[in-house]
Amino acid sequence: MGVTCVCQVPVAEGKSVQQTVDLLHKKLDQLGAVKQGSFCVDCETYHATANVGGQQSKLLYVMHNTETPLSCFALFEGGPCLKADTNFDILMVKLKSHFQNAKGYKVECRGSRYRYCDFLIKVGTVTMSSSARGISVEVEYCPCVVPGDCWNLMKEFMQSFLSSNVPELPSVFATKPEGLFAPADAIDTMTQYLEVFNKLRKLQIPGSNVR
Amino acid sequence: MSGGPAVKISIESVCEKQVQEVALDGTETYVPPLSMSQNLSKLAQRIDFNQGSDSEEVDGEGEFRDREWSKQEQEEEDGTVKFQPSLWPWDSVRNNLRSALTEMCVLYDVLSVVKEKKYMALDPVSQDQTGKTPQVFQLISKKKSLATAGQLLLKGAEKLSKSVAENQENRRQRDFNSELLRLRSQWKLRKVGDKILGDLSYRSAGSLFPHHGTFEVIKNTDIDLDKKIPEDYCPLDVQIPSDLEGSAYIKVSIQKQAHDIGDLGTFNLFRRPSKNRGGTQAWHMKLEAAQNVLFCKEIFAQLSREAVQIKSQIPHIVVKNQIISQLFPGLQLSISLCHSTTEKKHQRVSPEKPKPDDCLYVLEHNLHQMMREFHKQQLSSVVMPHPASAPFGHKRLRLAGSLAYDKTEISNLQHSEGLLEKIIKQAKHIFLRSRTARTIDSLASRIEDPQIQAHWSNINDVYESSVKVLITSQGYEQICKSIQLQLNIGVEQIRVVHRDGRVITLSHQEQELQDFLLSQMSQHQVHAVQQLAKVMGWHVLSFSNHVGLGQVESIGNASAITVASPNGENAISVRNGPESGCKVLIQFPRSQSKELPKNDIIQDAKWSHLRGPSKEVQWSKMEGRNFVYKMELLMAAMTPCP
Repeated sequence: MGVTCVCQVPVAEGKSVQQTVDLLHKKLDQLGAVKQGSFCVDCETYHATANVGGQQSKLLYVMHNTETPLSCFALFEGGPCLKADTNFDILMVKLKSHFQNAKGYKVECRGSRYRYCDFLIKVGTVTMSSSARGISVEVEYCPCVVPGDCWNLMKEFMQSFLSSNVPELPSVFATKPEGLFAPADAIDTMTQYLEVFNKLRKLQIPGSNVR
Repeated sequence: MSGGPAVKISIESVCEKQVQEVALDGTETYVPPLSMSQNLSKLAQRIDFNQGSDSEEVDGEGEFRDREWSKQEQEEEDGTVKFQPSLWPWDSVRNNLRSALTEMCVLYDVLSVVKEKKYMALDPVSQDQTGKTPQVFQLISKKKSLATAGQLLLKGAEKLSKSVAENQENRRQRDFNSELLRLRSQWKLRKVGDKILGDLSYRSAGSLFPHHGTFEVIKNTDIDLDKKIPEDYCPLDVQIPSDLEGSAYIKVSIQKQAHDIGDLGTFNLFRRPSKNRGGTQAWHMKLEAAQNVLFCKEIFAQLSREAVQIKSQIPHIVVKNQIISQLFPGLQLSISLCHSTTEKKHQRVSPEKPKPDDCLYVLEHNLHQMMREFHKQQLSSVVMPHPASAPFGHKRLRLAGSLAYDKTEISNLQHSEGLLEKIIKQAKHIFLRSRTARTIDSLASRIEDPQIQAHWSNINDVYESSVKVLITSQGYEQICKSIQLQLNIGVEQIRVVHRDGRVITLSHQEQELQDFLLSQMSQHQVHAVQQLAKVMGWHVLSFSNHVGLGQVESIGNASAITVASPNGENAISVRNGPESGCKVLIQFPRSQSKELPKNDIIQDAKWSHLRGPSKEVQWSKMEGRNFVYKMELLMAAMTPCP
């Protein structure tokens, strides 16, 4: 588990989501990255039914990542988060009276997983209720867990295939109390995915790009 | 007695009741006091009627008459005897006859009187016991207590003999049911229809081998009872599947590569003597043998499955009952399943028995052990209690979910080596170890100077063992301790750790180790000269482990040293190469060398102290048993006398 950066890549002008993804794949192939199977990140949204103490009800996101196949993540909107075994899903069913599943809000990101030396690249298509909304690119630098130590390297690497779409330092790392030198973990990755999902959810997609 | 007055001592009976008996529990039984009539009869009994004639009057009438009559007769007799003493030779005979007649007559009279019952009646008189009472009672009580004690003993003996007899009876009869019970206590049985089936597979121990491993229990009671029952008769018999009959074992051996692949897969079996343990039933031995066959088959099946699955540079070959894997170039590991089904086959094969046995029993044993470990692992992950959140066998995997382990971490945890991989590694190690030992031993026996000592460590891992190698010179062990090597023999390579911490990694090639040791031995000689110089007071002028000059050695480098005598006049230079051997040169001061021409440049007298040209010593002609001794002699000779 290294430092991970997730970013959203805009769909190229005059191209569909799939075409843009293919373009990225091609670039990675040219770079010499090797395809290593596929990946999937999904996110379910829950509403808290009971309004405790008059507070505004928060949303709870339950996420899974094939990279950590035995774990399940639960993130409160802007609040605490937890890592759990996959049995947590069953627990959520039991907690139906407190958390209600928002059916239409399920987001998924599927795609291929590439390895380029120490880098792990995942190019995925984000789909919401069976419509492709956008493209996410995850880059992980496996040997290092301290973002501050390897961010520049990652940035340089991303430039090689994302050209102008290189993201800024993810805010998850920047907002940590320890700063850039706190070790990154799986939660950071999931937070970044959630950010991308939320961004894409609000985004108005031009009809032509939806497949 | 004469002096004093006579003392009267009166004896009277004690007024106590006499003890008749003392019971075992201590209670005493007393004799009841006599009644008047009893007393009378007792007193009457004391009278001896046969004694004197004066007592005869007391008797009854008839008796009295008889006596009278006999008395008269006696008087007559007495008279004749008196008057004619011993005149007649038949006198004694006559007297005896007479007395006999008298007695008879008396008896007749008595009987007739008694028969009449008019005058006399015979009554039984109670036996007089009182006189002997204490003794008799004692005897009786003793007898009684002895009898009770005897009874107790008898009872115990009876019980013992009964149980012994029962045991024997059981053994002799070998009841089917009791045999079945015994079978049940050691093997899994179940009833299917009217058959009793047993399970000899290791499935309950975690085995995943698909063989069902079922045996059937047969009642073997239709034996002719009239005939003598054979010694090993057992009413219970088991029938094992035909493919598990006979005996089997896994044979692991390391061989030189076979030239021809045609003779593979026909591995022959020579039977190992099976120990017949006393006290176990025939069926038990049969089942154990079958279970062993099953186990060996499972190991072999697992190994062959892995052999096919594992991708290695040189593919493993599975032919019939043999798995062949390449350990090192030209060397192969052969694992074969030997299974003999019939005795006949075994006899056919037995002539091959005397061929050298290259089995590696350690590996065979390890295979068995690893298989059982594998079983245990299976068992623990499926059956053993585990937390509901983590259905995994591996402890650390339980944390995988909550600590969000990623794919690589999880696969690292789950990664386990197969049986074949492990056994190949072990075989490689074993081979490497034995070859290292052989190399060191052959070098030690071939080369006498310097000496090699190898100290093998007793505690080894299956994949690693170590040996300490010391290179010394005989007689100079204390001063020449420069070369101490620690050889860590691994699976594919040997790591050599020097005394100063340098680490050299050698491959499995035998030549590498040999060359390395040879170069170390050559270096040792030069080190020894250095040490010796210190002891002798010589000065080291130059020292080099790896000389860059001179002829090139094929193994390692030559090393060289130059030492000067304490006063600096003489010098010895030694160059020692692993291949070229040693070369010793000596230098004397210029003044001592005669053939040196006068030089125009160095005319000053002080230059005569310079050392002259070197001369080579014919080392083989030097006296001394080894290099260091020769060197010591040379140094001693060249040290100027003070």
